[in-house]
Formats: sequence, structure tokens, C-alpha cells
Amino acid sequence: MRGVFALVLFACFFPASLPAQELDPGKILQPPTDSWPTYNGDYTGRRYSPLTQINRENVGSLTLAWAFQTHSRSLQSMPIEVNGILYISGGNEIWAVDARTGRQVWHFARPGAPLGGGNKGVAMWKDRLYMTTPDAQLLSIDARTGKLIWQIPIADPALKAFGGVAPLVIRDHIIIGTSGDTADLPGFLLSIDPLTGSVQWRWDAMPKPGDPAWNSWPHDTDVGTRGGGMTWITGTYDPGLNLLYWGTGNPHPVENGDARVGANLYTCTIVALNPDTGKLVWYFQSSPHDTHDWDMVMTPVLFDGTFHGKPRKMLAQAGKNGLFFVLDRTNGEALISEAFVPANWVAGYDPRGQPIPRQDKEPQPDGALVTGGVGTNWQAPSYDPETHLFYVNSRESMGVFYLTMPGKSAEGWAGRDFFLSNKSMLKAIDVETGEVRWTANTQGRGGQSGILSTAGHLVFTADMSGNLVALDASTGKVLWHIYPGGPFGTGPMVYELDGRQYVVFLDDSIAYAFALPSL
Amino acid sequence: MKKFGLVVGLVVAAVFLLKAQEGGPPAGPGSTGSRNPAADAARAAAAERGRALFKQNCSACHAEDATGGRGPDLIRSTLVRHDKNGELIGPVITTGRVEKGMPAFSSFTDSETADVVAFLQTQITLFDLHTRFGPYPNDIPAERLATGSVEAGKAYFNGPGGCNNCHSPTGDLAGIAKKYNPPDLEVRFLYPSGTPSTAVVTLPSGEKFEGTVVLNDGFYIGIQCKDGWYRSWPMSAVKAEVHDPLAAHAALLEKYTDADMHNLFTYLETLK
Repeated sequence: MRGVFALVLFACFFPASLPAQELDPGKILQPPTDSWPTYNGDYTGRRYSPLTQINRENVGSLTLAWAFQTHSRSLQSMPIEVNGILYISGGNEIWAVDARTGRQVWHFARPGAPLGGGNKGVAMWKDRLYMTTPDAQLLSIDARTGKLIWQIPIADPALKAFGGVAPLVIRDHIIIGTSGDTADLPGFLLSIDPLTGSVQWRWDAMPKPGDPAWNSWPHDTDVGTRGGGMTWITGTYDPGLNLLYWGTGNPHPVENGDARVGANLYTCTIVALNPDTGKLVWYFQSSPHDTHDWDMVMTPVLFDGTFHGKPRKMLAQAGKNGLFFVLDRTNGEALISEAFVPANWVAGYDPRGQPIPRQDKEPQPDGALVTGGVGTNWQAPSYDPETHLFYVNSRESMGVFYLTMPGKSAEGWAGRDFFLSNKSMLKAIDVETGEVRWTANTQGRGGQSGILSTAGHLVFTADMSGNLVALDASTGKVLWHIYPGGPFGTGPMVYELDGRQYVVFLDDSIAYAFALPSL
Repeated sequence: MKKFGLVVGLVVAAVFLLKAQEGGPPAGPGSTGSRNPAADAARAAAAERGRALFKQNCSACHAEDATGGRGPDLIRSTLVRHDKNGELIGPVITTGRVEKGMPAFSSFTDSETADVVAFLQTQITLFDLHTRFGPYPNDIPAERLATGSVEAGKAYFNGPGGCNNCHSPTGDLAGIAKKYNPPDLEVRFLYPSGTPSTAVVTLPSGEKFEGTVVLNDGFYIGIQCKDGWYRSWPMSAVKAEVHDPLAAHAALLEKYTDADMHNLFTYLETLK
């Protein structure tokens, strides 16, 4: 520790004489190699690394390089790595860890529930870290020392709002969302000044009078001004189009659709915003009038390619509602709208490619049997530009949904749902047809974890039994597996330092770094 | 899919975890779980007095359940949510908000205000527990679920459902409707999770081991044998035949219509 502080001190006096340890936001524009500088590694959300040292020929010999014990538990955050330091977060804590050795550099802990909020990770801007907390604050922290610089409230915890989302840095904007499904809160995105903490812009998921989306809610009650559209998973960004893409959560009351007849914009919607102004450029509602808590916050994954002979800038999302979409990300035009698991709640698709929900599959007082739900969850999928496959951990499930609070004055959840039998599997989806190219049964493989693909022709994830696995990207064949002992709540990340490639899994309380055996 | 049972068991267990993975709000002072029954009883009595006061004085504008009407919704009110012991609500009651059309209830005593606060806090807890993070209410009455036909349910039980292959209304299911509350009964017949699979593992030597499946992840098979000992093998080294006692329920689950479910429940609810 003393050495680190001495180094910091030295850097303070001789800032030009040492390589900077801070993060230039422009670094996030590059494919991740020596760093993993943001939640998804880069802005695209592909979670694809061009690193090849670990590949399908040698992955079977992968071994433990180091492990770091946080003494926390059930962590579900994505570590980031910048200039040889990993930043791992959970609840109200951050650990800075030497990415080569697994040794702690510093530990930040503030008062409050250590585990609440389901923290998803920190963001870095220059020499600062940013983190959202269980009591709905945004923290700015000195990355050298772990000292708090400032904190600002982003929502009201008395109304059961909470933080957790990993912020997204775009130039001099810290972009954050919020969580909270209890007291019918409205969702929003905030862009925060990285130095001062002042709000640069705010985008509200609930439309205002004058917006055509206002008419997608009834207004004989106040339901259209209350809640929905939480923004709790980090979005993606196209610097060429200068568009920020973000998915929004479900409307409220959650399982009572009668109280809010209409499409309920902008809930369960992919929105494209100008990141400098917060102005909406286009939207695509991936689950209109949701009544099943199918937040559509899942990562909007960006990639370019040829679609049916025509070059396209595309965006793909595999949703909690069981549907897979490929959009033209310049304008939101739907190229593919297709179920990737059985989804009996879909009556069809409207001319824009948005699903039309079946009214009889809304929660009923005597129950409705519904498939499609939690087709996948928030854990990040991956897109491999070599195989042109979109990898998603999916579930085929049957749920029974009860409406327990009927009528127009319903609030909060207003229903009950029970998920019954499930079949979990990792699916590799062809982005030009929407067809599933291969499936790996997650009794062994896949499950509900995030996914990483690499140019080593590998897919890394975890299965439902808690095994960490590496699969052949073309076939789904298991090439490596290990049981680390805990639930794996997030996705793997990867970086290369000093010519050695590390794959890091944050498993329960422990970060494990795997690498090829060192000489 | 011969190992489906364990997978399902694991998945059902995992679903509960996953539902919380969005991350719930941290437990705060509003959380229930007091260990002081006397204080709980006093609070409940105050809330009941408050309910009567609220109904008489406030419900015309705020509705009997405090969800609002002509006046604001108090369940989602920022002021109410920040109130601890009436310090915020009290002045609003006694001085009113005349400019917004709320009269002053200047005759309210401090103890009456406290009772109204207790009632509002009870209502907030009630609505908040209606989220996924709270316990589900067991008070979904049977008549709400029993919307089908007893005769059609019985016919399904003995016909297309094939339930009578394993179950009998006068045998294992006698009195089943008394044993479980209505939503539990329905969820249990749809998919009664928790019954482990069994397996017969044959070694290359021909030796056989039989027991309850503990581990079946595609890489290893681990069973609790009949002699009480746990044993495991690499899946590649043995032959494992796994039997899922719930396979028929899993297969049927994919076939039920909503009407089948309602009819079957209505029939099973008669088995008291």
C-alpha cells in the first residue's frame, strides 16, 4: 500500500513524467484489449474482445492466475479495468485491485446496507469513479485513493427508489438511470457534469402533455403521470450517429392493465437519445402495454453488417418478454421481430414490428398461464462479429399470473406471479434470420449469467449449476469448465497485460482471474 | 432431457434468486418484523382508530384506502412517506391546504393525528408488500380461483390430464383442499416443485448404485445412495439413468389451457 501511495505522490509532483493512470473517455471508443474501461467493455454492448491468446485450441489448459476475496456476497457488478487496476463494486463499496496480482490497492466503504440495490458496476472518467448507491445517490470518487469527492441525490429513497445501474460515460456526460418498483415512481435518465455533479439534462420515461405518447395512457386518473420505465441497465452509444440507446422497464401498476389501457409509452421501450441534449430521436416499443413485469432494459447491442444484401447499422435486443429484435439503429426500423422462446402472450406484430399483447394473457383474478416471460434477464448477452451470432442465456418457462388488485385505483404490483417449470439454455441466434443456430442445454451450459465472446473463437459464461464454462463459438461445445463455489451473478470480462490475457469472473464474493499457465 | 427433474428443481430454486436480481430497495425503518407484540398490538389498535377517523373525515377526497380521488393519493405522497410520527402530516391536517381546497381540521387532537398517521403507515405497508419483494398474500379466496366447472375438472382429471394414473381423490388427494390455501393448491398441482429425481448409476464393472440425485450438471452425477452415503462420478465414466417423478406434471404444464386450470382447481377444491 505504501508503495502505491508513494507512486501517487510521485505522480502528483511529476505528472508529465509518468504514464497517466486515468481514463481518457476516448479510450472507450476502442475495442477492449489492455483495458475493460466500461460496463460492457466498449460502447457497442457486444461484449466481444479481439484478444486471441486464449483460444479454442488452448482454453482447456486455462488455470487460476489469482483470486481476490471481497468478503461481501452475491455481487452482481461488472468489474472495469483501466491501466492495470480493476475496480469492483457492490452495495456501498468499491475495491481497487491490482489487475496483474489480485492484491488490494484500496477499499471504499460508506455507511448503509452493504448489499442492497444490486449494484451493477462503476464508471470511470479521467481520474474519477462514479457509482450509484442503494439509497439512490450518485458518488464521485477519487480513483487514486478511493476518497469520496461528492455525492448527489438522484431519487427519493423514502419512495423506495434505489440506485445500482453502472453509469455510462460519454465525453463529459455521466449518464445514469434509476430503479424502484414499489411506489409507482417515474423512470428517467440523467446526464451529470463529471466535475460539479450538476444536472446537464433529464429525460423522462413518462411523457408530458403535447407529446403524442401522452395519448398512450388514460388520463381520467393520474396513472399516466405516475410510474414506470425504470432505467436500471446501462445503455450503449454510437459515436458516428451520436445516439445513446437505452432500454426502459415496465409500467405501473405492474400487473394491472385495466388501470392503464393503451401502449404506455415510454415504458418497455428502446429509446435513442441525443447524449448532449437528452432529446428523443426515435423509439421502438419492444413490449407495448406490458402487464407481466417484463422490463425491457436488456442491453441494446450495436453492430454493423449486411442485412439481406444491404449494409446496415443495426441494434439487437433479446428481451425479458421472450422476443428478439433487430432494428436499423439509424431510425428504429424493425428488421426482425421474432420469439426466441415460446411466447403465448403475443397476438401478432403491428406494422412497426412491435408485438401486440393478448388481452386474455394479462393477469386474471383466477390466473392466466403465460409463456415467454423472463425469456432472458438483465445479464448481458454478446455478439460475435466473426460468427455473426447473438448469444443469449434464455429460459423457456410457464408462469401463472394473478390479478390481485383490480380496478383503476390499483397501485404498485397489483398482482402475483409464480414461475413454474423452466428449461434454461444458451442460444446462438443468427442476426440475419432470427433463427437459433445452436442451443446449449444449460443443465450444463449457459443459464442466467452474462456472456463474453472473444476472437479466440470462444464464448464464456456460467451454467445453472454454478460452473464457469467456455464454449466453442461456432458449435456450443464445452471446451473448459470449473466450479468456483458460488452463484455467478454477472458476466465475465477480459483484458491483456504484459502479454498475458486474463478472463475475470466475479463469483459471489470472489473475483477469479483465469489465464494460460505462465512460464 | 432425461435429467430434466434436477434441472427443473435447480431452476425453480434459481428463479427465486433471479427475481431479486434487479436488486430490491434496502431494508429500511419501514420494514416489518417487530419483535415487540405489545407495541405491534398498540400500533394496530391506533391504525384501526385512524381508519375510522380517516373514513369519516378524509375519505371523501382521499378515498377510504388513501389512494386519492378528488384529493391527492397519500400512499405515494412524498410528504407522507417522509413522515415519521406526524410531524409533517399533523400541520397539514390541522391547518389544511386551503389554497388547494383542503379545509383545516383544527379540532383534531394530537392523538387523533397520531392514529391517522398509524393508519396511513399501515396502508403504505400493505401496498408496498404488494410488490414482488413482499410475501404473497394467502388470502386469495378459493371462490376467486374456482371459476371453472367441477364436472369438467373431474373429467379432465380422469381423462386428458391423466391425473388418475398417479393420484386418487379418495386416496392421496383426500382432503387436499383443506391442506393447502387456494393459490398454493393451484401452484402445487400445476407444478409441485421440490421432489428430487432418482438415478440408477451403472459403473463399467456392472456394479449399480441407486439413490436420490444431488448433483447432475452434465459433468458429474452425484447421488445420495440408499445406504445413506453420497457418491459421485464423472458423467463420462458411468451410465446414469435418471427418473424424474414430476415428468408427468412438466409435460402436462405445456398442455394446459387456462380453462383446464380453472376446471381442475374447481374440482380439487371440492376435495375437503
